[in-house]
Amino acid sequence: MNLQVVYCNHQSADLSVREQLAFSSTEVLERACFELRHRFPRSEHIVVSTCNRVELYSAQENPSDAPTQAQLAEFLAEFHHIPVEPILDELLEYQGPDAVRHLFEVASSIDSMVLGESQIVNQIKAAYDVAIRTDANGPLTNTLFQRAIAVSARVRTETRLSEGRVSIASVAVGEFAKGIFDHFDDKTVLVIGAGEMATETLTYLQGEGVGEILVCNRNLERARRLASEFSGRACDWSELANCLKTADVIVSTTGASEPVVTAAQMRTIRQHTGPRPVFILDLGAPRDFDPTIGNLDDGIFLYDIDDLEATCERNRKKRALEIQKARQIIEEETERFMQDVYHKATGPVVKRLREHWEEISRQELEILVRKLPELDERQRLLIEKTIFRIVNKLLHPPLETLREEARTGPPHGMIDTVKRLFRLRD
Amino acid sequence: MSKDNTGHALRERQSLARAGSFSQVGWILDKISLLCFSASYAVALAAELTQFLRKSLGMRWVAILFSLAGLVAQSGYLVARSRQYELPPLLASTHDWLIVSAWLAMAFYLGVQLWNPQLALGVFCLPGVLVLIQLSQFVSRQPNPQIGELHWWSMLHASFWVFGIVGVLLALLVSLMYLVKHSRLKLKRAELPGLQLFSLERLSRMNWWLVILSVPLLTLGVISGLWLIYLSRQGAHPVDLVNIAVFVDALVWVGMAVLFGWMLGAKNPTGRMVAWRTVLACLFMLLTLCVMKLMSADRIHGVKPPPAQSGGTA
Repeated sequence: MNLQVVYCNHQSADLSVREQLAFSSTEVLERACFELRHRFPRSEHIVVSTCNRVELYSAQENPSDAPTQAQLAEFLAEFHHIPVEPILDELLEYQGPDAVRHLFEVASSIDSMVLGESQIVNQIKAAYDVAIRTDANGPLTNTLFQRAIAVSARVRTETRLSEGRVSIASVAVGEFAKGIFDHFDDKTVLVIGAGEMATETLTYLQGEGVGEILVCNRNLERARRLASEFSGRACDWSELANCLKTADVIVSTTGASEPVVTAAQMRTIRQHTGPRPVFILDLGAPRDFDPTIGNLDDGIFLYDIDDLEATCERNRKKRALEIQKARQIIEEETERFMQDVYHKATGPVVKRLREHWEEISRQELEILVRKLPELDERQRLLIEKTIFRIVNKLLHPPLETLREEARTGPPHGMIDTVKRLFRLRD
Repeated sequence: MSKDNTGHALRERQSLARAGSFSQVGWILDKISLLCFSASYAVALAAELTQFLRKSLGMRWVAILFSLAGLVAQSGYLVARSRQYELPPLLASTHDWLIVSAWLAMAFYLGVQLWNPQLALGVFCLPGVLVLIQLSQFVSRQPNPQIGELHWWSMLHASFWVFGIVGVLLALLVSLMYLVKHSRLKLKRAELPGLQLFSLERLSRMNWWLVILSVPLLTLGVISGLWLIYLSRQGAHPVDLVNIAVFVDALVWVGMAVLFGWMLGAKNPTGRMVAWRTVLACLFMLLTLCVMKLMSADRIHGVKPPPAQSGGTA
């Protein structure tokens, strides 16, 4: 049995790399899962893709079936039509307990840019759902991801990681937008996109008391739903340029594979608006705003996800104690999960051994019943129970030994010994 | 009669006691030197600078308390100067003008800082105040001999100029804060723990108002100065209109008026551009005034200090 993750995240790779590898929408993610299943049919796969990370989780009954890091890099390169060499160096790999620990850390937001953020759990759930829909998952990844979600809940309950600024929007607005604007009650906020990130951003900005909210999305119906939730106004995609002219705070969270606002478009818009201050938070990966827009004039303050790294690092240092507590929980849960996995590996042998002995008991019982026809129903039941009790008692020591062996690692040696001792065949 | 005598003696004793306590206060006030409050402000500035190493609200309060102590000492110094020449501090001399300007800047700084102790205004205000105090050592400490004749007009003229100059000085500091903050935000750097400032929006608004208020005050200062020159012609010490002080003041006023006109009339000025122009205009004005005073080119607002009096104590 094998578990592995090949990944890049905000700590290991720049946004320029991550945006090339990102699966920008659910449809693209589904296509990636189909492709993985097709390429590596003996593996289970789940792909987690957010603005901060692209992670390919896979699991196999037989470790020799596991795709190598190079093979997965090749898959990413071919899928995104990019050369494989540059991305090979950007990808990291974990196997076995390290892979499990990594997922638990990701789900608990220890590995997130904004410590304690809750969105990552939903993103993991969404990735798991896509894997289920595309049939890319399997028993091992099911257990792994279900446990990761449970661990995340435990960390949130038992630590204070979720207190304070725990969303990207809150960090960006708190650190930068509040440095530009004194108050938000006379400001117009434009949210481009209508996904979960947009909802979270609007929840925070509404708390800051923003004046007017505009939601612009390719799917107008989704924009309307989100706008009505926050008493805002939904705008058709064709109105984007007009919305950009009126907005003071712009937050973009689309899953577009190309920038939705180019430098040329923005230059035209600024000719109308003048150089008044505008705060743009681009949370897209790939980015929604051409990065050169930030240099057009003194009034444009453009930030992407990587620009928040320093602030997030400062917040992280402040909560070092809580991180330590969370890591202890994660370590404990990783150990428990691995024990369960190793123990599960002994399952087929234990089952066969039990079936073998029970079969022998049944045969011997039938012979005995034939030899003693005077036995009534009650006596027969008593003998049957006694024989099965003896079988269980005899089975107990070897099974217990197997369980103990599974605590420290996969008990392959012990399984082989049991198979040879009792002549069990695969 | 004896009752009257007793009452008179009592009143005399009370008057003497009061005079004694006043003389004690006067003695203390006379002991306050520039060094006293300069040192207080320097300690406050040092406490402010430690915020860059480690943010501490305690050190911020140390800075505020030393600034307060300095302000009290500075107020005492101004009272002593006022008593010495029996003139309001504004009229005593150029030296007193600068000390009053520094006092007003400190009062503004402390007012804002007490309202929000999180702000890091000290690193901007305290050096400015210290420069004003140090400059005051090198300018005339002798009052203008004509002040007695034109007391009220002189008072009005001095008030306009001092408040105008303080407004310009504060506009300069606010513009510097704006530029620092703008640069941080453009470079996408996290805020330094000890350098919390107002938002760009507020700094821009403050700058606008400071310039808008300072320029009319300076204008009134120039007008009242011209009026004083006209009045002086009827007195014992007439002042010639063709004077370097008049020329420099007019130049300063033109500089500020150009900035004022540009700010009101410019189409789409960026906050950063306004801040830069304010910094340049204010520096031009302050440097011109300082050079004029330091070179003792000004023969209107005071007399050249005798060499023995250019020391640091009052």
